Amino acid sequence: MYRFYTTLLVFFAASAALGAQSKTFTLLDQNTHFPIVNAHVLDSTGMVITTTDEAGLFRVNPERNSRITIRSMGYLSSTFETVDLDEVIYLVPIVFKMDKELIIEGSEEKNNIHTYQHHATHKDMDRFLDDIDGVSMIQRGAFAWEPAVRGQSDQRMNLVIDGMAVFKACVDKMDPITSYVEVNNLSKIKVDKSGSNVAENGNGNATVNIITQKARFEPFEMNLETTFQAPNQYQAYRLHASGSDSRNIHALRFSGNYKSSGNIQAGNSKEIENTQFEKLNLNLYYRYNLASNHSLELNYITDKAYDVGYPALLMDATRALADIGRLQFNFADNQQAFRFTTAVLYANTVRHSMDDYGRDVASRTVMRGMYMPMYGETRTFGTKLNGEAKIIKHDMKWFFDAFTSEAFGDMKMESLDPSIADMLVYNMDEVHTRNISLGLRQQLQLSQKLNLKLDKSVRFKSVQTTSESYASFFEGLYNRNLSPRNRVLLSGSGSLLWMINNNWSLSNTLVYSERMGNHMELFGHYVYNYTDGFFYDGNPWLDTERTINIDLNSTWKTDDHSLSFSVFTKRFFNYIDGIVFEDVSNNDFQFKQYANVGGALMMGGELRTINNIRSKFRLENRVSYLYAQNIELNEPLPLIPPLHGSFLFTYTNRNSLVGFDLDWAASQNRIATISSIEDKTDGFLIAGINFQRKWLNNDLVTILELNNLTDHYYHQHTSIGNIPQQGFNVMLTLRYRYGQK
Amino acid sequence: MKKLYLVLRSTAMLSMLLLLVVSCKDTDSTPDLELIPVNSVTVDGVTISLFAEKEIETGANDFYWKVEEGNSSLEIQSFSITPMMEMATMSHSTPYNDPALFEENKSYYHNMAVFIMPSGEMGSWTISFEVETMTGKMLTGEMPIEVNSSWKLTSVRDANNNNKVYFITWLSPQKPVSGNNDLKFLVHTRETMMSFPAVSDAELIVYPYMDMGGGQGHSTDFTTPVAKGNGMYEGDINYSMSGVWTTSVQVVMANDTLPEAMFEYSVLAK
Repeated sequence: MYRFYTTLLVFFAASAALGAQSKTFTLLDQNTHFPIVNAHVLDSTGMVITTTDEAGLFRVNPERNSRITIRSMGYLSSTFETVDLDEVIYLVPIVFKMDKELIIEGSEEKNNIHTYQHHATHKDMDRFLDDIDGVSMIQRGAFAWEPAVRGQSDQRMNLVIDGMAVFKACVDKMDPITSYVEVNNLSKIKVDKSGSNVAENGNGNATVNIITQKARFEPFEMNLETTFQAPNQYQAYRLHASGSDSRNIHALRFSGNYKSSGNIQAGNSKEIENTQFEKLNLNLYYRYNLASNHSLELNYITDKAYDVGYPALLMDATRALADIGRLQFNFADNQQAFRFTTAVLYANTVRHSMDDYGRDVASRTVMRGMYMPMYGETRTFGTKLNGEAKIIKHDMKWFFDAFTSEAFGDMKMESLDPSIADMLVYNMDEVHTRNISLGLRQQLQLSQKLNLKLDKSVRFKSVQTTSESYASFFEGLYNRNLSPRNRVLLSGSGSLLWMINNNWSLSNTLVYSERMGNHMELFGHYVYNYTDGFFYDGNPWLDTERTINIDLNSTWKTDDHSLSFSVFTKRFFNYIDGIVFEDVSNNDFQFKQYANVGGALMMGGELRTINNIRSKFRLENRVSYLYAQNIELNEPLPLIPPLHGSFLFTYTNRNSLVGFDLDWAASQNRIATISSIEDKTDGFLIAGINFQRKWLNNDLVTILELNNLTDHYYHQHTSIGNIPQQGFNVMLTLRYRYGQK
Repeated sequence: MKKLYLVLRSTAMLSMLLLLVVSCKDTDSTPDLELIPVNSVTVDGVTISLFAEKEIETGANDFYWKVEEGNSSLEIQSFSITPMMEMATMSHSTPYNDPALFEENKSYYHNMAVFIMPSGEMGSWTISFEVETMTGKMLTGEMPIEVNSSWKLTSVRDANNNNKVYFITWLSPQKPVSGNNDLKFLVHTRETMMSFPAVSDAELIVYPYMDMGGGQGHSTDFTTPVAKGNGMYEGDINYSMSGVWTTSVQVVMANDTLPEAMFEYSVLAK
């Protein structure tokens, strides 16, 4: 280990002599001639090699990067040959991104109109996601919240890391994969709320793609950060370092995070038991540039969480382990009619152990008088290929995705009564999911102001269990012979953009999606649902759930102001939900089986405004609303957030920032009482304030946050078991950066 | 470098093929007959050997017989047996049928015997046999056997019919495991000490239950066994988890419902 660190240090030190042959360019807005800051400069493989600074400056080596692509939110992406390129480059502003993705930069710090969040690197991923309009977090405690996009979570959305499928191992959803990427390892989050990127996501579901930081061909840089929070004794230590060799062949990035927390304290100084956690996360990224302009990337993430309390659940996680590896080959540009852009091979495994040995099991109402240690594991292997093709004079992008995943989960029951023998139930046994999909994307310029994007996907999905005894349970339950459940699934979308003028656009998206039940809905067994108190059994013979989503968006933007307004409606057919299985239910244990229960409807919208005033003041406003109804039961769907939003005001001068934020939510009175056992939730208004100061030529940053100033006791509607949020708390963050500017 | 490019491209393609291949795994296999020897007796140079699938126990037992002269099977005309329990003051038989050629492996003769009590201080079991060879030679003898007690047999008395006794045998599953299992019972009654006819015209009421302690428990998915003839009742039971289960059985006769009989047993995880 010592030799490894020594080698690492020597490597970073050697990287200081970088950039002897680099050339400096200036990136400006074509209309205003103002510098464009934080634009991403990509090499021919699509890899970000640098970003522009506050003056719009960036440096690249024309010999190594003969062609670059520059992207910036709000501008038309453009590709340039660098050899004879002028030193000043202009980008054309636009107000709409055809991919309909909301991109949230994770490491931005510049206070400009294009950034979404600008001082969030010290936040946990959970809080980071919770701030995005249209995204709500289903909470089971203070750790590992589960994201829901427009009320759709888990099986109804795609949650991926760098496009990779990673499946949670805990049948009780204690380990959403968002917890495996720390914010200082986050490059950006791509949120596709409508699921319109069908070719890429394969199924038309809402998608959250967490994109990790890559190593850049830049001089050595190291960041150290530590955060303390009281009164919950939260502490976090973060390190990330990156660098490359002088010839821009090797680049390496390493990040390490350790954090722990005691019990949180809700409003009115009420301590919430079992909200502690401890977690370690390491990430290593290596990039190798080949002389042929191809490049190779290797990424490994390991995440270890221990002693994670879940007050909303019957038990706590004692150990949650994830190992995620990825090998990516980036192809150099070529002019062939059919060409590859990237090829990815990946593998990951997630293991999750939990128990209730630390709980009072004798007096609880569910599963009384017994301990229930549980274990879950998933193993996934996959490949992703994508590229471009010219088919009958049309340029298309193609995406191929294939993976196989195996899931296992069991629960032991150890009665306090010594005369009762131990029991064991398999929640999942040898359950395999296999998926192959091919997607095509085509963009058509109908006129100077009209663009049309068409996405389509065909997918083969197979789910089965190879355990004969486990399979026989479903055969007996449904009195049918079980064979692998195979489906061919078709999805498609069309997005029409009307550029009314340089500042205003209207867009309309239509998405048709087919979804096969996931491995839990098909092959889950005795899976306890904490929102309704039922044990769920899967149903391998579920029909395909189909949806039609219509999305309307209008965006208006100037240099200092933007307003984005979206409304959508989504209709579900063959909606998959649980129905009561009365034959074996009694007062102590109630069972449901998954079934196609009919239709469901979702409608809603998001409003987001950002205003920069005299470049020192910034106002951000976000409002989201969602209406969701189970049509057959004529009642609301469960876990739907009420009307809610946030307001952020910041003042920035040369070295300081003062921010004031308000988070608010209306009461939620639309609750599910038949399909679930929800209760109403009161509204709340929470205020916070933060101060940020830069020192030592901006190398040292201090951030002081005072949250929930009124010490209000409240919980969000999507908090299972009504577990409250933190009361008044103070957070102090110190961040130090070492490296060349 | 072009080679590396081609290798990676091929690897990517290969990975796709692998994903397809792993989805086509074949798991077909043929189970063999695994028997344990119980006892053997040699009469006039002919050895009559008894085998069983497991240690003999109360309840239903499958018997496999071999009749050999030297090392080769001896063809026979008939084969009959009589299991007998010899007690201090009485003796009795038990429900059984005579051996017949086992079609799946013709070196054996197969029959079933339902032992209604175990060997022990109360008495001991012997099986007397009578074999007629193709030459008309009669071979007779006795074979002592040891019968262990098990949970797979219970009996109830019909208070409305002179306390007539009914034997309810748990035939299947012999080794209950999580998941779906055939659920089979045999029902016999006792006419005399040597006659135990099958009861084939009854209805069964069954209810599986898992006591989880603390006054909690639950049932599981099952279908009620129905009469299939020769005292056999067939249904299925779908155990949701391993652990100790009970299953109550009530025999409903034409105008009479017998008291509830209870089986308690362990279900294995796999």
